Amino acid sequence: MSAPLLVSRLGSRLGRGALAFWLVLPLVPLLLWAAADRWSAPALLPQAWGTTGLAEARAAGAGAAAVRSAVLGTAVAVLATPLGALAGRALTSGALRAPGLVFAVLLSPLVLPPFAVALGLDVLLLRLRVPAEVGLVLLLTVAAIPYTTVVMRAAYAAHDRHHDEEARLLGASAWRVVRSVHLPLLAPAVAGAAFLAFLVGWSDYVVTLLVGGGRLVTLPLLVGAAASATGNDAQVAVLALSAVLPPVALLVVIGSIGRRARR
Amino acid sequence: MTAAGRAGAGSRRATLLVLPAVVPVVVVVGAALTSAVLLSLGLTPLVGRPELSLDAWRATELGTSIRLSLAIAAGATAVATVVGLCLALAVTAGARRSRLLATLSSLTIPVPHLVGAAAMGLLLADAGFLPRLLGIAPADWPALVGGRWWIAVGAEYAWKESAFIALVVAGVLSSRVASYTETAALLGAGRWARFRHVTLPLAAPALGASAAVSFVYTLGSYEVAALLGRPSPEPLPVLAVRLFTSIDLAARPQAAAVAVTTSALGLVAVLVSLRSLRRLAAEQ
Repeated sequence: MSAPLLVSRLGSRLGRGALAFWLVLPLVPLLLWAAADRWSAPALLPQAWGTTGLAEARAAGAGAAAVRSAVLGTAVAVLATPLGALAGRALTSGALRAPGLVFAVLLSPLVLPPFAVALGLDVLLLRLRVPAEVGLVLLLTVAAIPYTTVVMRAAYAAHDRHHDEEARLLGASAWRVVRSVHLPLLAPAVAGAAFLAFLVGWSDYVVTLLVGGGRLVTLPLLVGAAASATGNDAQVAVLALSAVLPPVALLVVIGSIGRRARR
Repeated sequence: MTAAGRAGAGSRRATLLVLPAVVPVVVVVGAALTSAVLLSLGLTPLVGRPELSLDAWRATELGTSIRLSLAIAAGATAVATVVGLCLALAVTAGARRSRLLATLSSLTIPVPHLVGAAAMGLLLADAGFLPRLLGIAPADWPALVGGRWWIAVGAEYAWKESAFIALVVAGVLSSRVASYTETAALLGAGRWARFRHVTLPLAAPALGASAAVSFVYTLGSYEVAALLGRPSPEPLPVLAVRLFTSIDLAARPQAAAVAVTTSALGLVAVLVSLRSLRRLAAEQ
């Protein structure tokens, strides 16, 4: 092997190593702290392992908060996914007037800071006496519509319309086409869109804080409260991990749905 | 049915399909912005008589917060763009190890920014993991969390957004770059020339668009700066939330003025980047 090639191989290996380090490093103390009972500086590893963090997190109400977060994420996914699918289908049908403008309107929640929308609407919701939970689901559904629309628009753009025509020729009703042709073929995209919408509800912090007024305690609110206190690093780590692991597990499930559909 | 009639029916059907998504978006976004503007102008006070005034706009230290927010967003996005491009190149290079890097990168995507902030706190604080790793005593470690240069805040955004930028850019590169670079290599182009004249132009639109999305997101995001920043001066979202949740009801119009300012900045950033992306597309 020539010297320049060796140097470039080594450089690329070092570069890859540095990039992997960049991605993983912030998560390492999270994992270590979650299983540490005692870990005082300057020790590189915890002096005592244990489940103190877990016990503290459960005492802080992590279980109920996780259920609330899951319900919120599911509600947002159930609402935003079909809305995004309908919009994605209309946007790719070629029959919509001013599709560019409609798409821009549907993407507009991405441009606006969530805290600004929540802050503006909160006053209005108070005046109209809308319950905080309803207002929260409405706001987060609107925040999730851009993601579901983008995913479903791309999926419908790649969808072969001849399948629909064949099914119709064979006598299938419009609803039957959706159920027996669209859903199986578009399942990976629907799962992806629903995952993103779930994530919007599951991981929201500032909208819940503003609209819920601190009374609606979801998992991110517990993480925020714990992380702004000091001396409870193990609890922070357990709460943070329990906010990450369910979505990661969902991502793995959705990845397997995608692989099965491609087969 | 005539052709025109069929087209009309198709257009009506498409409109009906899109309305369930458009109506809530328009209602929520429109109502929120209108309500924020009216509140900031003193026209919808919670107590007292409505009266048009610019007091809320004059009372807040908007200038400092605007500069700070723009600086944090620009710095974090710059780092995220460079690292994100490197990640995308490494992931699409086709080597055996790129699979692992792609997996690590995609696992970062579902991590909420709030969790990222908690993790950065455990990593970069003076008794955090990084000073222990480097063998530096807490007293000698610079104040990265809550310090003067907002390092921990910038690092969190750069970390999360680099994975997002890598995902978008790798999606574009993986489908197009291989055949072009092979051709360029056959024609005798060197490593740098291939990067400069083939890969970079192919990646540029996706890189620019994802960097713009990152910038606007960072500009309007609250939790990371609230957790890892210093108490003063405050970035726009932190200032707005503090004013809005304060017990002084008179501070609410000021919070609304900050919210309107942040939205306007985000909109301007999007319009500017759309324009430059269009110019980029015209040049290629």
